[in-house]
Amino acid sequence: MVEDDRPPSPEEMLRVIEEQRAATTKWLYGDPLLLYMPWGVAWLIGFTAFFLHYGLDGRAYAPISQMQALAVLMAAQIVAGAIAAYGIVRMNSLVRGDSSARGAMFGYAWMAGMLLMVVICLRMGPLLPPDETGLLWAGTSLLVVAVLHMAGGAIWLNWPMFFIGAWVAAVDALGVLLGAGWHALLTAVLLGGGFIVASVWLRRHDR
Amino acid sequence: MSTDKAPPDLDPVIHAQARLRVVAALNVLADGDEMAFGSMKELLGMTAGNLSVHLTKLEEAGYVRITKTHKGRTPVTFVALTRRGRLAFEEYTKAIRALLDNAGGVT
Repeated sequence: MVEDDRPPSPEEMLRVIEEQRAATTKWLYGDPLLLYMPWGVAWLIGFTAFFLHYGLDGRAYAPISQMQALAVLMAAQIVAGAIAAYGIVRMNSLVRGDSSARGAMFGYAWMAGMLLMVVICLRMGPLLPPDETGLLWAGTSLLVVAVLHMAGGAIWLNWPMFFIGAWVAAVDALGVLLGAGWHALLTAVLLGGGFIVASVWLRRHDR
Repeated sequence: MSTDKAPPDLDPVIHAQARLRVVAALNVLADGDEMAFGSMKELLGMTAGNLSVHLTKLEEAGYVRITKTHKGRTPVTFVALTRRGRLAFEEYTKAIRALLDNAGGVT
């Protein structure tokens, strides 16, 4: 039999419980650093490119075309998405049950939201001036990001996730009101930078 | 109702470090979720034989539910805490806290 020789003290047992809980949580749900950091970096780089393209007073700060800025943002987002997908696949191999179904439905909600956004922007975009078209795409995509983070917070009772969603909604609203240049600047600094800060803070505070 | 080793009011099935860790890990899962045996082994740093022994004891007490299935051709085993197991873990944690509070009050 594999048993402990001496009866452990209550202090020891309480410590064992706490350590095992923390270790299991981290092992199952991954490092918050991996969850938010890649998106933070992607938006910081991508929207900085857009900001340099738009400028704040209608003149570009750097010779970057809208398509080049879009390419930078998309490339960075593909990396972030791949890291997220890896985490999801890994978790699905460890656990099965209701939470797999919950995660799958949540994943489909993301896909549906993004697809609907693309349909709306493809239809409405050509009717607008180029800067406004860019703002339409950026503003509606962050709408989906904001709402689904808040919904995710509700599903998993995860307060940081909920507040991150609310933060995205607030910054997006302000940026859209101020125009394309400001939207890109605020998104790069407050959301890109914000996600990087949040990932480091969440890791320090162990959720 | 006390056994030789465990002090009164402490569930003897859970009051062993290895099994306590198994139960504490499973308790992190949401209701209706199961953990793969292989990943539990890795998480807890136990050998398959060792973990099996503890899981059997917990299953006999009705604290865990063990499901054997197949993923393709390889057999996979999933483990979940039963309602009874979850309750027992809650009671155990409460009892440990109470013991500590009393000890703090006396000394």
